[in-house]
Amino acid sequence: MSDSRQPNVSQAGQHRAGQELVIEHLAAGYGKVQVLWDVNVRVGPGEFVAMIGANGAGKTTTLRAVSGVVKPTGGHIRLGGHDITRAAPSEVVALGLGHVPEGRELFAMMSVRENLELGAAMRPAARAAQQHTLEQVYTLFPRLQERSKQLAGTLSGGEQQMVAVGRALMGLPSVLVVDEPSLGLSPLMTQTVFEALKAVNAEGVSVLLVEQNVGLSLRLAHRAYVLENGQVVKEGTGEALLADPGVRAAYLAL
Amino acid sequence: MDLFLQTLLNGLLQSGIYALVASGLALSVGVVGIVNFAHGEFLMIGAFLAWAASASLGLDPLLSLPVVALAVFGVGALTYRVSIRHVLLAPELNQMLLTFGLGILLQNLALMLLGGNTRTVSTPYQASSLQLGELTVGGPKAVAFAFAVALLAGLYFVLYRTTLGRQMRAVAQNRRGAQLIGINVDRVYLLAFAASCGLAAVAGVLVSVLLFASPTVGLVFALKAFAIIVMAGLGNLTGVLWASVLLGVSEALVQTYVPGGGGWSDAVFFLMIFGTLVLRSFRGSR
Repeated sequence: MSDSRQPNVSQAGQHRAGQELVIEHLAAGYGKVQVLWDVNVRVGPGEFVAMIGANGAGKTTTLRAVSGVVKPTGGHIRLGGHDITRAAPSEVVALGLGHVPEGRELFAMMSVRENLELGAAMRPAARAAQQHTLEQVYTLFPRLQERSKQLAGTLSGGEQQMVAVGRALMGLPSVLVVDEPSLGLSPLMTQTVFEALKAVNAEGVSVLLVEQNVGLSLRLAHRAYVLENGQVVKEGTGEALLADPGVRAAYLAL
Repeated sequence: MDLFLQTLLNGLLQSGIYALVASGLALSVGVVGIVNFAHGEFLMIGAFLAWAASASLGLDPLLSLPVVALAVFGVGALTYRVSIRHVLLAPELNQMLLTFGLGILLQNLALMLLGGNTRTVSTPYQASSLQLGELTVGGPKAVAFAFAVALLAGLYFVLYRTTLGRQMRAVAQNRRGAQLIGINVDRVYLLAFAASCGLAAVAGVLVSVLLFASPTVGLVFALKAFAIIVMAGLGNLTGVLWASVLLGVSEALVQTYVPGGGGWSDAVFFLMIFGTLVLRSFRGSR
């Protein structure tokens, strides 16, 4: 059981070097409203880490700060060897971050295929490997191949989520951050998307997952952090947190 | 029957220039999210530059067109850097006041420097005409239409077949999404706004051939461009083409078939804005 939770980077040919993502003493907010006070999170190379917490705890803001969409007011963020605390979103993507945003943020009037191709457009290495990555994404989500010519805005919620994940993967990220992928999805669709994330991680990509579906994400993740009011209040292995009475009471209603 | 066909042809020829002005405006509204009330003034700059090149160097406006386009592209880029960029997150009213003020500034600069007279450009094909069976096309109109079609074909090729064009459409459809896949949104804004100004200037060059150059020549074209992008749906880049044809042809029909039509044709675009908004509100309320 515990074997399946170890980072698996051994699949020949599929291996992508995951990078380390380190968030230290991060403070950030919107205008005068401070959301994050002291967030410390580390995602090791090839690790699958979950971040859980109630609405408004600061999970999405943390991911936005990593992407450079929200400018931190304090602390540091490092991706691989690079300090990305004040980097622009385009620079962060160039360094190997993929972001699957809350609400998917697809290009609704473009086809599935165009959405995916745009995911590879901004990194020369990704553009060169575009055809190969596209096939990988289609293998991961066969449904997207069937719908490749359909406009993204006309897809179901689950299919849109697949496009969002696929689009991020097209950029050949070494670290993938994923924001609430299960939101509005049927349990079956959620299962499909989570399986895909697990497969991506198995290829060596580091994953930071933010989820409200606490049970599922703790079972999937190697390690997890609990965020409350803009601070990390608990961390541990997925198993340990699943067994934690406080977590069970607050997030699993057990 | 010939009269009817001639009318349709006239309308179609006129719509080329409308589409040029409107597609530029659609870029700034759709991609950058700025309603540029100074759009007509960039057209005016283009018209005056073409006139100046013709008057001082004897250069045919169609030859100076590439240089004018590049120059005003540069002016547009500078305008973005200096002013537009800083109001992108400001309330819409502030943005409108800025571009409105910019328009007034440019118009009055032109008035101060060049006076209020209209300046005409003479070309060798001025009085020529083309005979297509029973139909007649004025030389300048035919030339302007050919240029407009070629430029629009170029624009839509860039928008739909190049990486930069895809980036522009991506930004237009979803800013946040575009940002998160690594598109440098600020750079796309700069290029889209500059291209928008360049397109207006190119239209201005053609207007200098068809009509004249004057400080206020851009106003009516900008207003019609607004009508066209409202009809097409804000930010709908392909809708601009058919909306331009619709406006051009409707105006021509009014000119031919309504008594005293010459005067009424300039009211057509008001009617079209009105009609579109009423129709949209019905569709919206259902």
